[in-house]
Amino acid sequence: MGVTCVAQVPVAEGKSVQQTVELLTRKLELLGAEKQGTFCVDCETYHTAASTISSQGQTGKLMYVMHNSEYPLSCFGLFENGPCLIADANFDILMVKLKGFFQNAKANKIESRGTRYQYCDFLVKVGTVTMGPSARGISVEVEYCPCVVANDCWNLLMEFMQSFMGNHTPGIPSVFGTKHDSTYSPGDTMVQYMELFNKIRKQQQVPVAGIR
Amino acid sequence: MAEGVLSPGVNLEAFSQAIAAIQALRSSVTRVFDCLKDGMRNKETLEGREKGFVAAFQESLHSVSRDLGELERLSNLVGKPSENHPLHNSGLLSLDPVQDKTPLYSQLLQAYKWSNKLQYHAGLASGLLNQQSLKRSANQMGVSAKRRPKAQPTTLVLPPQYVDDVINRIDRMFPEMSIQLSRPNGTSAMLLVTLGKVLKVIVVMRSLFIDRTIVKGYSENVYTEDGKVTDHATTALLHYQLPQMPDVVVRSFMTWLRSYIKLFQAPCQRCGKFLQDGLPPTWRDFRTLEAFHDTCRQ
Repeated sequence: MGVTCVAQVPVAEGKSVQQTVELLTRKLELLGAEKQGTFCVDCETYHTAASTISSQGQTGKLMYVMHNSEYPLSCFGLFENGPCLIADANFDILMVKLKGFFQNAKANKIESRGTRYQYCDFLVKVGTVTMGPSARGISVEVEYCPCVVANDCWNLLMEFMQSFMGNHTPGIPSVFGTKHDSTYSPGDTMVQYMELFNKIRKQQQVPVAGIR
Repeated sequence: MAEGVLSPGVNLEAFSQAIAAIQALRSSVTRVFDCLKDGMRNKETLEGREKGFVAAFQESLHSVSRDLGELERLSNLVGKPSENHPLHNSGLLSLDPVQDKTPLYSQLLQAYKWSNKLQYHAGLASGLLNQQSLKRSANQMGVSAKRRPKAQPTTLVLPPQYVDDVINRIDRMFPEMSIQLSRPNGTSAMLLVTLGKVLKVIVVMRSLFIDRTIVKGYSENVYTEDGKVTDHATTALLHYQLPQMPDVVVRSFMTWLRSYIKLFQAPCQRCGKFLQDGLPPTWRDFRTLEAFHDTCRQ
């Protein structure tokens, strides 16, 4: 598990989501990256049920249950600013049992699918973020496998991202700030994805017809 | 042509003149026999015919003797080919006229030229290689067999306790580097050096000499980039050599290894970038401990 950075690439002017993804993948292939299959990251939202809110006097919390094809036997459960739980794949079934406490907001299911590339020690995943039938944006995840300490290799990661993303290189992710030389874990990647999905959800409440 | 047989001692002009003289001699001898074959010419009296025949015969014989004398004179001028021509028996091969099917002589010449060149280059190479001695024992080259058993290097036979002490001292020297010692097979020590959260290095030792190193990443087994760092580490253990003081060697090797703690943070000193072909600067200079890309170092 290496240090990972998840970023959003805005759609190019006058082009569709599909075309922008193609531009990115072509740049990657020019660099010398090899295609290595596909990936999928998805996220489901759960509201705390009304009964629990009234008894505890707290505002409802949103819980996100996420899956990542990179870790096929795991399931991640996270709160917005809270802890991240890395659980077995059976966690989904457990959530069904907890229907009384957490209710699934099915309309909010969001996922990112795309191709996985490998370049030397880097793993790059370029995916289209879709909510329901419509494509909402583009996510790029870059992982540098050998390094496990987040702040050590940020400059290295940034240099690599600049080589194929150009001006759209993101700033340092917020999770890096809290790490302080502790080992990077997959939960941190999922937190980054969650933040990305939330941002995309707020961006476009109405899908623009031209994007499709 | 017998070019190999000729040498500067031969007078080439006299040689060609001698060949012409041989031709002249041949023609005059032919004339003698022609004269004999033709017999007497048709003349009026028998006496006249006999006289004419004898005169012609005598004249042709004279010309033969003249040519022979000329040839002998010229052959003395031509001179002998020098006795010490270098080919000896192989020179006789050059006289073989069948050149197309068995080009033995030309192949032989090429083989000799090639082996001479090879010997010359090998001499140059051994001179250059001896300047950078790669032998790590205290024995000197060329010491006679009689003397060698007496001068056993004492640094190869060290008590394991001493090795343990040296390693422990080095372990305490560097805070971010931890060294674990174990002896899984016999007396050779095997060290597992953990460098912060960056690298793990396995060092196999033979008493206090470093024999072999393998560098691995912190979390997984083998990386392509650490294939490079393993090579660099092997270069380093060959570079730091002092047969008489092996603990200094181990200390300097560990100091060099410790510079890798900033493997992902330090940019290359030469090109200023972090990545070159997807690799961070994996080379550390032996004296200054600066980071360079493998392709950027001098």
